[in-house]
Amino acid sequence: MNARVNLPEAREVCPTTTRRLLSEGALLVDVRERAEVEQIAFDLAGVLQLPLSELELRFDELPRDRDLVIACQSGPRSLKATYFLMFQGYTRVSNMQGGLVKWASKGFPTRGRVPAATGAVAAGARCGPSHVSATDSCGTGSLAVPETECCVPASGSAQGASSRSPACC
Amino acid sequence: MDIKVLGTGCANCKSTIALIDQIAKEKGIPVSLQKIEELREIMGYGVMSTPGVVIDGKVVHAGGIPSRGKIEQWLAV
Repeated sequence: MNARVNLPEAREVCPTTTRRLLSEGALLVDVRERAEVEQIAFDLAGVLQLPLSELELRFDELPRDRDLVIACQSGPRSLKATYFLMFQGYTRVSNMQGGLVKWASKGFPTRGRVPAATGAVAAGARCGPSHVSATDSCGTGSLAVPETECCVPASGSAQGASSRSPACC
Repeated sequence: MDIKVLGTGCANCKSTIALIDQIAKEKGIPVSLQKIEELREIMGYGVMSTPGVVIDGKVVHAGGIPSRGKIEQWLAV
């Protein structure tokens, strides 16, 4: 079976950065199970559903020549999927921190019942959950931007997101 | 023999470590038994299902508690 690969830290992005990446051609991969997707889903064109339970068998369906953003309900499963894809040699892959819960808490488009935001995610009016370092949450190491300015308003477009300071997610 | 058990702290992972340790002691086989709980390191072995077992750098098992017979086979090598 497998020998060990020294994986670097996974790249992590917040929902706002995710929207920008999607507007630039990235593919959002939702690794939640089918029953979860039936309850609530990202309301975006072109989201690929690939449940974590099927990832080992089906990961080859994912393109290697396109940026991938992996998402789940709140982040841990997509992080696992991100590392798995990195192990399989994917280099253009990021984990969306906070998952669908954080996406929905920002007012970004969803279909179905919006889950209640809890804990660190609920506190995340700013870029990242409180237990995550600034570097992890925004990828820049800076949270100097006032929290209220950190993320685009709920109605903000991906275009708007990309025009923000790179320190802001 | 260097044995690593991969898992983020679930009950099955703890049981796997305990079982390997018990069988190694019963058979008087010296092993270095290590628990790997960090996700990045676990995924560095490409293991999606835990517990995983790595012996001398090679993944020999992934998902569920290994059977006593399987562990005895590993230790007999």
